[in-house]
Amino acid sequence: MDPVTLAVIDNRLRAIVEEMGEAMLRTSYSQILNSSRDFSVALCGADGALVAQADHIPVHVGALRFAAEAVIARFPVIQDGDIFLLNDPYHGGSHLPDLTIILPVFEGGARCFFSVVRAHITDVGGGTHGGYNPGATDIWQEGIRIPPIRLGDAGALREDLVAMLCANTRIPRDVRGDLMAMVGAARLGAARVSALLASHGRAPLLSAVDAILDLSEAHARRILREWPDGVYHGEAVLDDDGHGRENIVIRAACTKQGDALHVDLTASDDEATGFVNSSYPNMVSAVCMAFAFLLDADVSKNEGAFRPLRITARQGSIVWANEGKPVTLCTSHCSNEIVEAITRAMQHACPDRATGGWGRRFRVAIKGRDAKRGRGFVWHLFHARPGGGASSAGDGWNTAGEWHSAGGLKFGSVEMAEARFPLVFERHEFRPDSGGHGQHRGGTGAELLLRLDSDGIAFANTAGDGARHGSAGMAGGADSAPHRYVILREDGSTRELRTKEVEVPIAPGERLHLLSAGGGGWGAPTARDPAAIVADQREGYTS
Amino acid sequence: MTWRIAVDVGGTFTDVVGIGPDGSAHLAKAASTPHDQSEGVLTGLANLATAAGITLDALLRNTLRIVHGTTVATNALLERKGARVAMLTTEGHRDVIEMREGLKPERYNLRLAPPPPLVPRHMRLPVRERLRPDGSVATALDPASLANAIEAARGADAIAICFLHAWATPAHEQAAAAALRAAMPDAFVTASHEVLPEIKEFERFSTTVVNAYVGPVVSRYLGRLAQRLADAGYAGPVFVILSHGGVAPIAEAARRAAATALSGPAGGVAAGVALAREGLDQDLVTFDMGGTSTDIALITGGQARLGRGREVGGERIALESLDIVTLGAGGGSIAHLGANGTLQVGPRSAGARPGPACYGRGGTEPTVTDANLLLGYLDPDSFLGGAQRLDENAARAAIAPLAAALRLDQDATAEGIIRLVNARMADGVRVATVRRGVDPRGATLLAFGGAAGLHASAVARDLGMRRFAVPLFAAGLSAWGMLRTDLRFEVSRSIGAMPVDDAAFQELESQARARMNEWFDGPVSTTRAADMRYGEQVFEIAVNLDGQTTPDAMRQAFHDRHRELFTYALEGDEVVMVNARVAALGRLDGDAGRYTAPPMPPATARRIRLHGAWREVPVHRFGALADGARIRGPAILESHTTTILLAEGDSAEMDARGWLIAEVPG
Repeated sequence: MDPVTLAVIDNRLRAIVEEMGEAMLRTSYSQILNSSRDFSVALCGADGALVAQADHIPVHVGALRFAAEAVIARFPVIQDGDIFLLNDPYHGGSHLPDLTIILPVFEGGARCFFSVVRAHITDVGGGTHGGYNPGATDIWQEGIRIPPIRLGDAGALREDLVAMLCANTRIPRDVRGDLMAMVGAARLGAARVSALLASHGRAPLLSAVDAILDLSEAHARRILREWPDGVYHGEAVLDDDGHGRENIVIRAACTKQGDALHVDLTASDDEATGFVNSSYPNMVSAVCMAFAFLLDADVSKNEGAFRPLRITARQGSIVWANEGKPVTLCTSHCSNEIVEAITRAMQHACPDRATGGWGRRFRVAIKGRDAKRGRGFVWHLFHARPGGGASSAGDGWNTAGEWHSAGGLKFGSVEMAEARFPLVFERHEFRPDSGGHGQHRGGTGAELLLRLDSDGIAFANTAGDGARHGSAGMAGGADSAPHRYVILREDGSTRELRTKEVEVPIAPGERLHLLSAGGGGWGAPTARDPAAIVADQREGYTS
Repeated sequence: MTWRIAVDVGGTFTDVVGIGPDGSAHLAKAASTPHDQSEGVLTGLANLATAAGITLDALLRNTLRIVHGTTVATNALLERKGARVAMLTTEGHRDVIEMREGLKPERYNLRLAPPPPLVPRHMRLPVRERLRPDGSVATALDPASLANAIEAARGADAIAICFLHAWATPAHEQAAAAALRAAMPDAFVTASHEVLPEIKEFERFSTTVVNAYVGPVVSRYLGRLAQRLADAGYAGPVFVILSHGGVAPIAEAARRAAATALSGPAGGVAAGVALAREGLDQDLVTFDMGGTSTDIALITGGQARLGRGREVGGERIALESLDIVTLGAGGGSIAHLGANGTLQVGPRSAGARPGPACYGRGGTEPTVTDANLLLGYLDPDSFLGGAQRLDENAARAAIAPLAAALRLDQDATAEGIIRLVNARMADGVRVATVRRGVDPRGATLLAFGGAAGLHASAVARDLGMRRFAVPLFAAGLSAWGMLRTDLRFEVSRSIGAMPVDDAAFQELESQARARMNEWFDGPVSTTRAADMRYGEQVFEIAVNLDGQTTPDAMRQAFHDRHRELFTYALEGDEVVMVNARVAALGRLDGDAGRYTAPPMPPATARRIRLHGAWREVPVHRFGALADGARIRGPAILESHTTTILLAEGDSAEMDARGWLIAEVPG
């Protein structure tokens, strides 16, 4: 393959997935997609192999191939014009809120690609509004399961199936709007890649794709060869499963030999009662994410880059639950802990690449009535973001969020929230001393003081982790402070919010005082530049 | 009093266009002077006078107006050389600009140090005060905390006042501004309700802080420019082109300095709008390819597209701005072997210094211009009318190591560089069109800037566009566009809980007209737009409400727009208008002018490489083509300032208005 044509095709494939992403942003209905951008798009090969993926949500990076493979496994005959859908974490999905649309792309009668769009839908039924049910002890309490289905054929959606889906969510209008956007973006990708197939010819294009994957593989292996061979161990600990079991450990044994890396998670603890379990695809994706973070940012994220990686784990463990177990939290937890365990192991091989831990997710949803507007409301917390991890390049990003999104999730306007909800943001600033110490300091988390002015009692659901364990320090850096969320009662008493609770009552006039974790530090604190210590105090990042 | 002059300051050159009393257009150039752009401006004006055969004094005394495009604000942001800024902000909320809504660029690059904020945290000074979204006061402005903040702000050159919910009522910000101006009369004071009186604190605060950061730099610069012009004998008005593509008086540009961040590339888009008006095509893609970057914008139905999500130097400026896509690739972009082993072009550029290897100023890495030279597209002797001799041997030496690494011969490597940069340009056009939901195939690609003419044919082909145009005036088109655009003043406000109605617009319209009437006494028109959403939605969409006066008609316009964007509308649902926006436009008079290119020695033919083979093609003098002349590709057209490549099958005709219009086979 001539190198110029290869470069042109590589460029086009990236541009196509970026264009699919723009289409999602432009046309999706719900806030979580068009503002928080919790979606991913990709082109996969005829066998499902990841060919190109846009930079959206890192925790999806290794997961989309499973969706294409599940479709191939389920449907012996796949035809041009078919539209497939799935969300079942035991059949190609990661967790139920992530719906995935998969479109095959044909040229000259042969299947050449899949165009794939995955998006987080705010509600898929189940026991609680918003998809996260800390009380769930099986997957049926988490929402509707959709194994791979043919949502449409000959290019047309089956309206009866769409109606069935909409009947299984509390927000049918959003789901319909988002589903249309997903299909539109997938069609766009399919049309673009069809044009590319037509202009280059099938065989030359497919051999260019093979060459592009080979180049990424070589790129990744070149980096791997720089690290010393050895077996490296690391672990990370989940607070609890929400059902009384605490300190659940993920253990990574990473064997780096030559230009290959074997990540073995077999020694991780057994699966849990609650929703902190991981599905198999999500576990693989989390490992890929950890690996991608250790490589250079300009390594193309495709199947080739992940070829040097071998992954083993034990079915029935926290990272690979048996079918039927609840898994909704897994794209946050235990994904983040899988990344943390691997990064902790690899800090011994490539300390300059191992970044301090990014904060854990601790979400709160409040449901109540709004007196001024005379209606009910549901508000999801995206503020008080945790801090990003420090790295060999410098301090961590303040309030840039969790490992699974790495600065890709946006929180909304305080003014807009106050205008639309019975909430007063009395304080929303950096939380001093929350970042882990180190030669480079972890990013700070935030402090949010939020007064509720609802009409009568409102109720909070929580879903998350990290009130016990902070973000990991690396290469000699210290762990960050963990989250601490409390309700301040009007009588001066307090009530701590746990990370996995349902229906916690909050009275009007009471305040939530939320202190989010910082990021982990990097390098020995004693090596910190004295001027940086002075600056931290001047700026109030430390007290 | 009949000269009209535009001055466009670029990274390397300052372009000056003057349209004289007889309607003839003149083009002059000067080297840009980054330490003080006004020096280059005056040199350019002197060169224009020479080109017109008069003295600078005579030129300036007979000039009706001067329009200016400047990159002072842009450079201050990119190079982080703005003012020392303090920020007065609501107690408990001083980190809005550094939190950046939780976002960080470069998703997979976790080893990226965060950029220092434009205002360090210790200079973000809390003031005890708090407003509610309905504009009522929750906590009165506390005089003691204001006094403390002002004391702490001493030493800053500029102060941004950013209070929560100041969009709803400006009283607290106004009080703080009055106190500040009294205490620090020399400081540049700017308040968020003046800059962008709209809900959403990150957008408003960030824009206000940018305004404070570039304000003193822009003010000082424009002051120096005005002084130099006055000293040289000019007594007329100076207008500055702003990011929205309209122009405003120099004082307004200094006050809203953040609005000059796209002043540089705005002229090219304004030129596109003018050419659309003059009959080139209602739908255009402007393709301005310079030395280090390329600016692409879309014009549909004769209108440039505006947006409000602009970032410059990583800083959000939420003012209405032209929707310009900027690519980090141009004629000076360096070709190299990427980390994954594939050929890559840019984003590194040889810039003005040392420039491409073939300029012979010490450049050793191969650039797009070097490749164009090696393929015969550029003539070593007639480049820039012979002013810059090109060194083929230097280009060859620069490309040799890359060719070896790719295991290609040098010619094939040069052709590969051009193919790849053309593919990147085409992707840039896709970003500006298809990614905005517009099919480019019906539009004309308008190529200008020094380098676009060699790439336009290939880019048009890649996209299935059937027509591209290169004005004879291509090199001066951005400056020319500044003479052809309107005075523009924008006002907006968030409506809060108020209903969708005519009253809000009428109030804004009278404000905007009043301001415009201070600027000039010509005819003024206004446009209406709003950001609207359904009650339960989180995001607004921009809706054009020109001519809509009843609430029903406004709601219907929103439903229609929503259907256009999202394929459906919810006509039974509540409709909320979040921001109302009005633009007042003042039409400046003036005709297009006629440009005659300076003569060049005749040329006949040369060998160029196309699709892997060398062949001899005719070479034409662009400026010497008769009206109606038709040229078939492959061919080269050259003028002093630009070179055009027509590919096999292209058929171009010289229009009487000085536009080369090429048809590309489908």
